[in-house]
Amino acid sequence: MKPLTPAAFRSNFSTALGAAVLLMVASFLSPPSSLGKPGPAPQQPQKLTASAIQLERSDAPDDLVIPEDTRVAVYENVILQLNKTKKFQHVYRSGDRTADSVPDLVILRVVPQAFKAGSQKQREVTTVTGATSIKVKVQFASRDGKILREKVLEGKVRFYGENLRATYDLAKKVAAAVNETF
Amino acid sequence: MLIAVLGPKTKIPIQFSDDSRIWAWSRVKFAVLRAEERNKRMRTRSAQFSPGVWSKQRKIAWRLLQLAGLLVSAIGVVFVATAGPVFSQQATSQASQATSVQHVKCVIGLENIKPNTKGTLSLLPSGLEFSAGKSKADISTASIQDIFTGQESRQDVSGPAGTLAKAGIPYGGGRIVSLFSHNVEVLTVEYVDSNGGFHGTVFVLSPGKATELKNKLVAQGAKVTNHVQPPPPEQKP
Repeated sequence: MKPLTPAAFRSNFSTALGAAVLLMVASFLSPPSSLGKPGPAPQQPQKLTASAIQLERSDAPDDLVIPEDTRVAVYENVILQLNKTKKFQHVYRSGDRTADSVPDLVILRVVPQAFKAGSQKQREVTTVTGATSIKVKVQFASRDGKILREKVLEGKVRFYGENLRATYDLAKKVAAAVNETF
Repeated sequence: MLIAVLGPKTKIPIQFSDDSRIWAWSRVKFAVLRAEERNKRMRTRSAQFSPGVWSKQRKIAWRLLQLAGLLVSAIGVVFVATAGPVFSQQATSQASQATSVQHVKCVIGLENIKPNTKGTLSLLPSGLEFSAGKSKADISTASIQDIFTGQESRQDVSGPAGTLAKAGIPYGGGRIVSLFSHNVEVLTVEYVDSNGGFHGTVFVLSPGKATELKNKLVAQGAKVTNHVQPPPPEQKP
């Protein structure tokens, strides 16, 4: 049979059509796979309840040097964002003696894990370098020291803004974690 | 030969010869008489005209002196009037420099003060006071737990408006503007409230002011511990 003749075209077309029909029939007859079917929903962790939260100051590891203004800015920004969540009747600061009488107090610890000091000038000149980042481990604990939830979060400032803006970014993420947890 | 001197400009040579002795003597006498007459004329002329001329000149000179005196005193009054407030301002600013720093940015941490508010940071005998308009916040010296200072740099053109302006410069000119920065000093004060709750405040001041305030607070009795200061971010490779 010569190629590019009407007879050859009809033969090839009928072969391709038959293959397509076979594939369609096979796909309909085959048992449904588990990939397309949505499985059981992942078990959502049960939300915690507490009337008050206390933010504890946590020291960084010895080998990690974080500027004190950054640590203070993280602490104060987290306090501000915790108040904005309105999940608690009271947000206590570290060392506040009035928190001792609260029965269902949850203690929040923000433990620094890593810190990279960037440069605002470098960020604005190069756009891709000079980011400031701070990584922390956020722990929600009960008064007796039991860890209720734990999460690692990172605050960054990539393009525009001062270095301390990374602490604001981190505090927003901590607030989001509080909203998920409570 | 004899030279008869009859005045500053009158010199007559006299020759004593036998034939002309009488003539010479009469000539000397005539010259003497003429010189005396001229001197008399000059004296009378000066006596007639000099009092009036001198009085006029003296009056003019006196008036000129008066005018000059008035001018000098006016200049002096103007100088005192303008320099007085300046000197007093300098004196007051020198006195107030010791206690207050203006254009301080409170980044975060003070009650009733919004983050990134600019105001005046004053050192009172009782501690620190930050005032921005009507709102004020105090930190007593006794409540201070620690004080930190650090060097940082800030962009000369920053903020939302500055960022927009830099973005609007064509051909990446905004990046060149970003190269311009200035040094600042950061003052971090950690203190506790009446319930023992921990607070921290971050101030941004002009260079040298934070260290000065820290030293004065320490002199007032604020607690300070020894710290390990990380290197400034701008100096890192």
